[in-house]
Amino acid sequence: MSIIKSMLLYSVALLLAGWVMLTGDVSARQVTDGIGRQILVPDNPVRLVALAPSITEIVFALGQEQRLVGVSRFSDFPQEAQQLPQVGSFVHLDIEKIVSLNPDICIAVKDGNPREVADRLAFLHIPVYAVNPLNLEAIMTMILQIGDLLNAADRAHIIVAGMKSRIDRVRERVMKTDLRPGVFFQIGISPIVSVGKGTFIHELIQMAGGTNLCAGYSSYPRLSREQVLVLSPDVLIVTTMHRGLSIDQIKAEWAGWTQIPAVRNGRIAIVDSGIFDRPTPRQVDALEQLVQLIHPELSKESP
Amino acid sequence: MTARPNKLLLRMAVVSAILLVTLVAALLMGLSLGSTHAGFDAIVKTLRGHNSSDPMLRAIVWHIRLPRVLLAALVGAALSAGGLVFQALLRNPLAEPYILGISGGSAIGAIIGIILGFSRFPGVTVMAFAGSMCTLILVMIISSGQSILKKDSLLLAGVMVNAFCSAVIMFLLSITQDARLHNIIFWLMGDMSMTDLKQVGILSAILIPGFILIFCLSHAMNLLLMGREMAMSMGLRLKTITVTLLVATSFMVSATVSHCGLIGFVGLVIPHLLRMVLGPDHRVLVPACILGGGAYMVFCDLLARTLPQQGEMPVGVITALIGAPLFIVLLKRSNR
Amino acid sequence: MTVAIDVAKISLTYGKVSVLKDVSFTVNPGEFFVIIGPNGSGKTSLIKSIAGIEKPQHGRIDIMGRPLSGYGRKALARKVALVPQTAPADFPFTVAETVLMGRAPHLGLLGLESESDLKIVRQVMVFTGVAELADRKIEHLSGGERQRAFVARAVCQSSDIILLDEPTASLDLAYQARLMDLMEALKNDRGATIVMVSHDVNLAALYADRLLLLKDGQIMSQGRPADVLTYETLEKVYGCTLLVDQSPLGDFPRVTLVPGKFNPFAGSG
Repeated sequence: MSIIKSMLLYSVALLLAGWVMLTGDVSARQVTDGIGRQILVPDNPVRLVALAPSITEIVFALGQEQRLVGVSRFSDFPQEAQQLPQVGSFVHLDIEKIVSLNPDICIAVKDGNPREVADRLAFLHIPVYAVNPLNLEAIMTMILQIGDLLNAADRAHIIVAGMKSRIDRVRERVMKTDLRPGVFFQIGISPIVSVGKGTFIHELIQMAGGTNLCAGYSSYPRLSREQVLVLSPDVLIVTTMHRGLSIDQIKAEWAGWTQIPAVRNGRIAIVDSGIFDRPTPRQVDALEQLVQLIHPELSKESP
Repeated sequence: MTARPNKLLLRMAVVSAILLVTLVAALLMGLSLGSTHAGFDAIVKTLRGHNSSDPMLRAIVWHIRLPRVLLAALVGAALSAGGLVFQALLRNPLAEPYILGISGGSAIGAIIGIILGFSRFPGVTVMAFAGSMCTLILVMIISSGQSILKKDSLLLAGVMVNAFCSAVIMFLLSITQDARLHNIIFWLMGDMSMTDLKQVGILSAILIPGFILIFCLSHAMNLLLMGREMAMSMGLRLKTITVTLLVATSFMVSATVSHCGLIGFVGLVIPHLLRMVLGPDHRVLVPACILGGGAYMVFCDLLARTLPQQGEMPVGVITALIGAPLFIVLLKRSNR
Repeated sequence: MTVAIDVAKISLTYGKVSVLKDVSFTVNPGEFFVIIGPNGSGKTSLIKSIAGIEKPQHGRIDIMGRPLSGYGRKALARKVALVPQTAPADFPFTVAETVLMGRAPHLGLLGLESESDLKIVRQVMVFTGVAELADRKIEHLSGGERQRAFVARAVCQSSDIILLDEPTASLDLAYQARLMDLMEALKNDRGATIVMVSHDVNLAALYADRLLLLKDGQIMSQGRPADVLTYETLEKVYGCTLLVDQSPLGDFPRVTLVPGKFNPFAGSG
């Protein structure tokens, strides 16, 4: 009897200690976050701040937007996200704003949010769950992790399953041909900047059955027009942060360079940077778009 | 002549008192305004420890705003005092605290630190400090020997080293990508947003003895303006005093810049402005620059935080936008 | 009686150039001692050496019986005051403040002046005739007025010895006379020892107790003006034709330059 009693007392004490350790009256658990840190997170986060636009998107996709009290500045998808209070841009966060929203957890992206911010927030007893999506695989893992965090694991699984099946379909389609057209993916107009190995876009291009002509360069190489000429791309895809740059303007920029097959054959396209640059479920949309552009002959068949 | 012995002391006391009050007012303003709104009395209550029921406000006031306004005050004081000392040492009105290669060296150090992925403190701060010490030593070597006391050789060496460093900085900027580029640019324009009480404590431990040292040498600085020979003939140990002031002030400015990036126009404009109002006696100017420079910086940082609709401006932009026109006005006034 | 300044065999070189070669002389307390000689003879270097600003490689200088090297800077400043040849023109202080700085060797750390310091300054300003300029800024004064202010500053140092390097060089005739009279008064009333470098041989002759004639860093002659200012010595040193006679003002030598057109013995061309 006394053993049970003391065990009971012990567990009650433990619970109380855990309770007291937290600022507030939420129960919490120890988890490992996306970059391997051990942190204490609330069981049911109700005041979430997303420190990057991709995180905001994922939270909405998981249907957990009611938990959000703050988002980073360029969180523009979905539209409703723009109504939420903004806490600065994701490289230059406003700590004061974040603290004033009294969050019980923040989700940060390792490659982008400054380390100091995470440390400061932790110092102020605000847990920061960090993720680090480096490729499609990691994006899907991240969605599952965030789903777990926000008690939306089921929804997360559905999303990831959907992504996986679409990716598999793309893979099958691409395997039907040996053609791997040379793709030049331009993310900067002036100067001309492309993507090298180690970026999301590179992976997407390869998966979509293209050859990224800048694979051998650093992550975001700058090239001159002559260098692009030498690379001789079959497909030229442009993504730009500037809305409003029309396809005609882009075509006009490249118009004189008919030695480039892409220009000669009119295979120039603009795509929305929002789905290409961000590690979100919409990357699969990007992938499908790329397949259309790189292998238009494949899309004539039914999916 | 009607000067009485305590008139100087009186002036020193009155000027210091007025500027101290200004500084405190600026500090309080800086504490009450920011991206979140809280009433002035709430802030004061929190400062006095009464507002324990609102941990969020406490966190904001104590851990975010207080370190920041204190850092601003220290930075403004150090840069203004530094500018004053260099203007006296080099006998050149264009002298400012970065003139001996400190800006170039610390920028290169900081940029390398950011590129290597160090965190702001202590990594980038230490790199910036190391960089500025390297360029300082370089400048001293270039103008070494007897000519170290010849003001022009120091100045020219400093200008050349800074120019060379600018080229290196341009190069480093051109090979950097994205997020780190943003960090670098913010550092180059002055950034006091990431600071805590520990950093403020370290910096004040370095700066406060420096301020006291400079104050003690303020009469010597008056004598220095007479030129090498007259100063020596009046009992000034020229080499000792010059090297002491040079090294101590450079050390202070380097430590400051390492914490907050390159903030310009403060070290140039504030000493001139105060000299126009208060006269050339350094015994009055040194405390005035320390207190007045501190108040000015707190105020500029406040503007940097609150003016833009979204986010904040780099504080270096504000000091330039205010400082440059102010300097031109002063220049026109003094030409009459 | 201790000699005020004892210069013993000093030699000074700048790099490879020898500016003073084995120079020895003494100055007695309360003497008006003037150093003359052509340009480049080392006069300024000599004055700076006595002031402790230049350090001769050889030889020794004693001030009031103690070696120069044995004095701390401030202690030396209480014994020796210097009025250099050029004064800074962009000095932002007023005349009163400038003269007050002359008290520096007697003041503590922050240079806080006491009532007695201010009294001394007031007296000196009256004595040197700059009292009416007291609140004017140095940078707004004429060259002569500025010079007088800096001389007043040197007098405020209350030193036993005052060194002046060509103090009359940029002054009007009137001020030249006033300055020399001032130095004479300092000598007579306060027992100061005056050592002056001058390019004006005649003015020197009128006031100096003893002269030192330098050429190329070496002493060519020293002694009373009448003994030093002889036709032979001067022609050798200055390399031009001179006429030496007695000044109408009294028992002083007067030196007159004889340019070519008056000289029947000058060579042609």
